[in-house]
Amino acid sequence: MHLREKIKILVPGEFSGRAFLSAWRNFWRQIASGDRAQTPETQISLARLFDRRPCSPELHGVIGILKTIRQRILANTLLRGWTKWFVWILIGLIAVAAVSARLAGAMLFIAVLAAAGAAAILAWTWRNRLSNYETARRLDSAAGLKDRISTAIYLGGIADSDGMIGEQRKDALAHLGKVDPRGFFPVQWPGNARRAAVLFLLAAGLFAYRIHHKPPLLSLLQSTARSQLVQSILSPIVHAMEKDLQRTVAMVTMKPDAAGEEMQRSDAASSADDLWKADDKAPGADDQKDGADAGEGDQPQDQLQAPGSQEGNPSGEARQQESNSQEGKSGSESANDKSQEQSEQQGPEGRQSLGQSLMQALKNMMSNSPNQQSNNRAAQKPNGQGTPQSGNSQQPGATESDKRGESRGNSDAKQKATQTASEGAGSQQGTKELRKDQETHPVNAVPDRVALEASGFKEQTRMKVATETGTAQLSDRGLSPQQDAVTNGAEQENIPARYRFYVQRYFEHADNGKQ
Amino acid sequence: MTSSVGTEGQTGGQPFGAQAEFLAEKMAEVRREISKAIVGQTEVVDGVLIALLAGGHVLLEGAPGLGKTMLVRTLAQAVAQKYSRIQFTPDLMPADVIGTSVVQENGDGRKSLGFQPGPIFTNLLLADEINRATPKTQSALLEAMQEKQVTVAHTSHLLEEPFFVMATQNPLEMEGTYPLPEAQLDRFLFKLRVPYPGRDDLHDILDRTTQGTAATVSPVVNGAQILEMRKVVRTVPVAPHVQEYVVKLTLATHPENRENLLASKYVRYGSSPRGAQTLILGGKVRALLDGRYNVSMEDIRALMLPALRHRIILNFEAQADGRTPDDLLEEIAGKAE
Repeated sequence: MHLREKIKILVPGEFSGRAFLSAWRNFWRQIASGDRAQTPETQISLARLFDRRPCSPELHGVIGILKTIRQRILANTLLRGWTKWFVWILIGLIAVAAVSARLAGAMLFIAVLAAAGAAAILAWTWRNRLSNYETARRLDSAAGLKDRISTAIYLGGIADSDGMIGEQRKDALAHLGKVDPRGFFPVQWPGNARRAAVLFLLAAGLFAYRIHHKPPLLSLLQSTARSQLVQSILSPIVHAMEKDLQRTVAMVTMKPDAAGEEMQRSDAASSADDLWKADDKAPGADDQKDGADAGEGDQPQDQLQAPGSQEGNPSGEARQQESNSQEGKSGSESANDKSQEQSEQQGPEGRQSLGQSLMQALKNMMSNSPNQQSNNRAAQKPNGQGTPQSGNSQQPGATESDKRGESRGNSDAKQKATQTASEGAGSQQGTKELRKDQETHPVNAVPDRVALEASGFKEQTRMKVATETGTAQLSDRGLSPQQDAVTNGAEQENIPARYRFYVQRYFEHADNGKQ
Repeated sequence: MTSSVGTEGQTGGQPFGAQAEFLAEKMAEVRREISKAIVGQTEVVDGVLIALLAGGHVLLEGAPGLGKTMLVRTLAQAVAQKYSRIQFTPDLMPADVIGTSVVQENGDGRKSLGFQPGPIFTNLLLADEINRATPKTQSALLEAMQEKQVTVAHTSHLLEEPFFVMATQNPLEMEGTYPLPEAQLDRFLFKLRVPYPGRDDLHDILDRTTQGTAATVSPVVNGAQILEMRKVVRTVPVAPHVQEYVVKLTLATHPENRENLLASKYVRYGSSPRGAQTLILGGKVRALLDGRYNVSMEDIRALMLPALRHRIILNFEAQADGRTPDDLLEEIAGKAE
């Protein structure tokens, strides 16, 4: 290779993307063709050979200066590369300290990685170090010497003291003496040294924290996940309980046979109560969580929504509004709110007696049902005018006005639900409203004799416990199970054994009392 | 010719350093003499001197009244060379430029055809408003500018060295003109744009030309010295990276290479190799005039526009986009570095 070609290799060209791709293409062509003449290794070795070429004695001083400059450039390049690598290593260390519970292995790996990277950077920098000619070019550019030094270095091997080359050499040396070439290339800290220092302090602080604490990011993630899990699991369960309670109360007004079937179908949903209790006692029980999930899935689509989804919220809200507009605020509603608050204050204990109270109320209802069927129907009629309960339209006793009222209520409710959903989808406020609405959900479908309310029935049920036990007949008004009740019925196999045993024992006790 | 001109070939036996210094000194004197008559226009004067020492020709483009003709006349006086002026018109014929064979009668009364030299047989030729002549007449200069000879009736006649053509053209009045063909344009080393003088320069012009005092220009160098200087110029070394830059710059003007996105879009024809030669030769002269003995990247950048602006032919898209050769070359040079 000619000298000119050697120099040409060292001349930095443009670094556009297209040129870069072209260089890569040429490189792979050379690799594929086996032509190693133009590979970077060959170029660098040729550059080194160019530096070893004999030089005019006049230029020895310039060569010495260029070596010093080259060492400084090399040092700066190394510092820059190492600092960049150090920044990445520190980022990795911080990530490991924040997440990993075991630091020893990770730190060992990172230490090895850091050492290997530093060595690779050193080797790469030394391999791509500048030649004297390239260093002279940088010096010309920095000192404004108008390519005098680089031309002199290029012509350094030619002895021409009287010719133009000699004159050029003298001119270059004269101008080099007027400047401080080393001053243009100081060894300086790279630009990202401050960032590396900040990261180093951060990593040091994090490791000091880790001496006595767990990984902070991991703890944070766990706590966040736990809180979200609790919110996403428990709130639907509570809602499901309230829904089932209302459904049960409404079922009491039906015929005994239908009530029995409905009872069986709602068992799955009622099992959520036990599951909730079990979850309080043993939060880690997987089987009970599964049951809770099943109970959650039993909820109607409009009310069973995650906190981020708001479609169910406006539905419940709309129903509530529709109900309120039809009937006004009744005293039972305020009592319902009060009892709901009491239930919430009572906490798990109050919820534990939910099943018992429910059964007791059912028993009381059954004992008085024959005499109360007509009253129930009378009480149900005004309720059917405004309370949009699905399934009421199929009651035999429902009049046409009932059906119109119901359908109107449903349509209004749906319209409001759609409107509200479009307004506040995904907001946290919607969730809160849902819970509030559900807490104050009317129990207008409950007949007077039952006096059972959504959450305050516990105390009232105790008051009615004194009634005699006996057979009960619920009025069969041709009710067909709701669509979601059918869905609930499919989950009956998931009834926990403990609850089955409880029901069995309850009815045995009832039979004994009767006898 | 005055005593300051010196003898012919005076610089021949001296060392290169002394010759270079002599060149720089003499050219500085020429500048000073020209500045007696020409106010400002330093870039144009430098370009003319560089072209003179590089052995090329100059195309001056500028509005009327900016001193183009006066510059040529003053330069001819400063370098003590013969000077001719041809006013190019549409009815100008090639024979009017290069000469023709005429019937001549010798002493014994016999008649024969003899060559009557045209105005081109001079040292400094001013081709005024060259684009007003027909292409046929314009092409009469082709051989003279490149080969330094003219051929009439199968006989070639050498032109006297140094032969230096300075053509002018008016960019405003393009009606009835014949734009120079690419081959003709390529013969010019530089295309210099003569700018309108600034405020201070205009004051100086008014002071000098309206007070009845005419400037007297003294000859500084002679033709032989100019030829010696041309030899010295060619000994100036060029570093590889500078030459590589010139090659890159020249190739970057070619639309055939798809990597030259700008040239592919706007350029119809790129620079010829004469463009690269011009850059190197002009850079050498500029380095010597600057007191250097090597060509630098700065020289190439400074000479890029006058050396290449008339060597790239823009396409219709460039004209539609309002692009000029100068701004395209600036962009190309920025990418080539």
